[in-house]
Amino acid sequence: MIAQIGLSILLGGVLVYAWTEYRRAPIISVLSILAATAGLYFVWLPNHATRLATLVGIGRGVDLIIYVWVVISLILLLNLHLKLRLQAERITILMREIALADARKAEPNK
Amino acid sequence: MTGYSPRADIPVRVSAFAADATSSCAIVCGTNFVRCRCRYRPRRRDPRGLLSKAGTVTAKHRRKFDTQSIWIVVAAFNEAAVIGPIVSDLLRPGYHVVVVDDGSDDATGQIALSVGATVVTHPVNLGQGAALQTGIRFALQQDASYVVTFDADGQHRPSDIARLVDALVDHHAAYALGSRFLGSSRGMPLRRRLMLQAAVWLTRVMTGLRLSDTHNGLRAMTREGASRISLRQNRMAHASELLEQIAASGLPHIEVPVTIDYTRYSLAKGQRLRDSLTILFDLSAQKLHR
Repeated sequence: MIAQIGLSILLGGVLVYAWTEYRRAPIISVLSILAATAGLYFVWLPNHATRLATLVGIGRGVDLIIYVWVVISLILLLNLHLKLRLQAERITILMREIALADARKAEPNK
Repeated sequence: MTGYSPRADIPVRVSAFAADATSSCAIVCGTNFVRCRCRYRPRRRDPRGLLSKAGTVTAKHRRKFDTQSIWIVVAAFNEAAVIGPIVSDLLRPGYHVVVVDDGSDDATGQIALSVGATVVTHPVNLGQGAALQTGIRFALQQDASYVVTFDADGQHRPSDIARLVDALVDHHAAYALGSRFLGSSRGMPLRRRLMLQAAVWLTRVMTGLRLSDTHNGLRAMTREGASRISLRQNRMAHASELLEQIAASGLPHIEVPVTIDYTRYSLAKGQRLRDSLTILFDLSAQKLHR
C-alpha cells in the first residue's frame, strides 16, 4: 500500500505537470497524461497489469509498470529538449535585435 | 495544375499563376525536371546573350528592376578566405549587399566591410537559418523591394540574380527559387546528388511543393514574400522550413535555372548525411511544440 501511495503521488505530479505544459507542447502533454494515467491504473489494479503483460508477452505486471515509467521518462526528456529549443529561439531573437541595432555600413568612398 | 507549352503535345507543369505564361515555360516547367521535355528551355549559359565575359549583366540587358531596390543577403561563418571577392562581384552590378557575420572567429566581417558590404554581426554563432532571417529582416528595414539569398561559399554566380528577379517580375511571383537541376552544376558528387533527390522527394511529401531543387541557397523574393518568411530553424533545417512557409503563404513561386559551381571549398562546407538526419530531427521536433 505504501508503494502504491508513493507511486500515485509521483504519477499525480506527472499529470499536473503535463496539464500545465499543454499550451506550449500539446502533443507531449497528451502523451504524458496517457502514460501517467496508464501508470496509475496499473499501480492500483496490478492484476490487470499482469494480465495485460502476459497478453503482450512482457511476463510480469511489475515489468509493465517499469516500462510505463521508462516511457514517461523519455517523454519528459523530449519535453526538456523542446524547452531548450524554445530557450534557443528566444536567445536568437535577442541576438538578432542586438545585431540589427549594431549594423555597420561601409564608408561611401570605399 | 498542368499547363501546356507552345508545342501543345508537350505537357508542362506550371504553377497556377503562370498557366498563361507559356512563352517562357522553361522557367516554370521545373516542377518535374526529369520528365520535362520542353523545347523552350533557354541555353544554360547566357540565354539572351546579355552577359559580358566577366559574367556581369551588360547595359544591353534592359532590366525590369532597379538594382538599387535589391538587397543580397549573404550569411557567412568563417568565410574570410572567400568573402571578399564574392561581395565585390555582388556589388559590381549595383546591388546592396548585407553580410550577416554569424559569430565568425576569423575576419569575415572586417573583410566584407572593407570591400563595401553592410555587415550585421551576431555576437555568437547561431546558424545559417538564423543569419538568413536576420539578413532578411535587415533588408526589409532598408525598404528593399527584392531580397535575394546568396551562399557565401562561392558556389553561386552573381549573374543568376538578374535572372531570378526578372522571373519574379515576368511572372508576378513572390518567390523565385534557383534550381541547379534545371540549370547546371559542375563537379557535383554522386552522394550529394542522391541526398538532394531524397530532399526533393521529402519536400514533396511534407509540403506538397513539386520542386526540382529544394536546398538551393540562391533565391529571390519580393518584399511581400520576404515579409512572410519567419525562420525559426536556426541551422540547416531552415531550407525545408522556408519551403514550408512558402507553401503555407499561398503566394506564387517559380523555379529558375541557375548554375552551381562546386569547389573543394564549397564541398567541404556543404551538408553531409549526418546533417540530413539532424534536419529531419529538427523538423520533427518543431512540430511538437509551439
